[in-house]
Amino acid sequence: MTVDELRAKAAERQQTCSQIKKMIVSRLDLEVEPDWITDDQPLFGRGLELDSLDVLELYVAIEAEFGVALYDSEMAVFGSISRLADEVDPRLRASA
Amino acid sequence: MTLTHPEGTVHGQVGDATVPLRFTDLSTEYGVLRDRAVALDLSGHTLVEISGPAAVDFAQRVLARDVEYLTSERCMMSLVLDDDGRVVDQVLAFGREDGLLLESSVGAGTRLIEHLRAHNDEGVEIVDRSADLTVIGLEGPYAWGVVGRLIDGELASLPFEAVSDTVWNDVEIVFARTGFTGEYGYQMIVPVESAADLWRATLEHVTPSGQEALELAMLEVRQPIPRLETAGDADVIEIGANWLVDVTKDEFVGKEAVLAAFESRQGRRTVGFSGGDVVPEPGARVLAGGEDVGEVVFAVRSVGLGATLGLARVEAGLAAAGLELTVEGAGVTTLTSPYIVPKSWSIPII
Repeated sequence: MTVDELRAKAAERQQTCSQIKKMIVSRLDLEVEPDWITDDQPLFGRGLELDSLDVLELYVAIEAEFGVALYDSEMAVFGSISRLADEVDPRLRASA
Repeated sequence: MTLTHPEGTVHGQVGDATVPLRFTDLSTEYGVLRDRAVALDLSGHTLVEISGPAAVDFAQRVLARDVEYLTSERCMMSLVLDDDGRVVDQVLAFGREDGLLLESSVGAGTRLIEHLRAHNDEGVEIVDRSADLTVIGLEGPYAWGVVGRLIDGELASLPFEAVSDTVWNDVEIVFARTGFTGEYGYQMIVPVESAADLWRATLEHVTPSGQEALELAMLEVRQPIPRLETAGDADVIEIGANWLVDVTKDEFVGKEAVLAAFESRQGRRTVGFSGGDVVPEPGARVLAGGEDVGEVVFAVRSVGLGATLGLARVEAGLAAAGLELTVEGAGVTTLTSPYIVPKSWSIPII
């Protein structure tokens, strides 16, 4: 791939990550600016410090926004924003 | 160093501390950490007591996260920044009745204390407690079981970053639920004169792990390792340690510089990568489509992945998982964090 093709591929993932961050900040009413959240930071415990109630809220929000049901998923899908992007947009995972 | 290590332990100098790098071999210690539980000699972490009427105000100003309401039952990880927004250290801050106790990262105590004293406009008391207090850690998916056998099973289920002042063998210790590796983690702050006894008692239940296995496991879950990630001029945004900074706080040392870096949307970003047979050195160039787009921050051989694992700092538009890049002639792939899913995420404390 050329560097421009790689940039385009990166932009696709970053776009999905950005959409997820905005959704999380909005749904959970966080004070932080969405872009302040990094793609790789942990979400639960450390990092964004979400809890199990937040997970329930996110299940609903993700299904509404992306049409993907994660109710039976393992906690690993919430390992980071980028990991969540793999779940809500399987094309990203397939091309990784 | 206050704890006794078995013959054959390999020690190394990390910053201002001599620490056990490995007790046996990296692969074994890493495997036990990820599958069961290990004991960690964290005596290379310096404990700094901040006290006096303005202790909280001072801490609130020098720590990048909000510690105004940090009670004696809580601890919190935070960055300490200089005026230019560069990382001085990553500390674990414990709320105490008369102020705070800061635990430095490994080997960074001297640098941390110098920085705190240089910024002590409030006239607080800053005391290096490493001569009389030390830290022992437990980490692993079954570390909670060790807590039950060693001290009290109820402590094992403390919430993350909860702290309890408790007693072990008639010795007052500070017990905290913490963790660096994504696995269940605990720390025990113990008087130096009793540390050897607690260490020996801990080793009746688990084997020890050295700094190499600990840092590998930290890398795998993108827990920042300040000594390896802050070289050069990298700022908080480039390191990707935003979550250890609270920009909604009114004021803290380095805030303006951090915000300026964030708002510029320029610079490099950090991304994990894997691939290649050789572990590249820090500074090795990273190519994308034949163009130089960044450099390796550091890399190691990951036991869990069975491959080279590292961090690269590349132009922001290429800091994403799933890209095929080149490092020293070898193809590598950028990764989604965490690079290894901790076993603890699927094991409840019972």
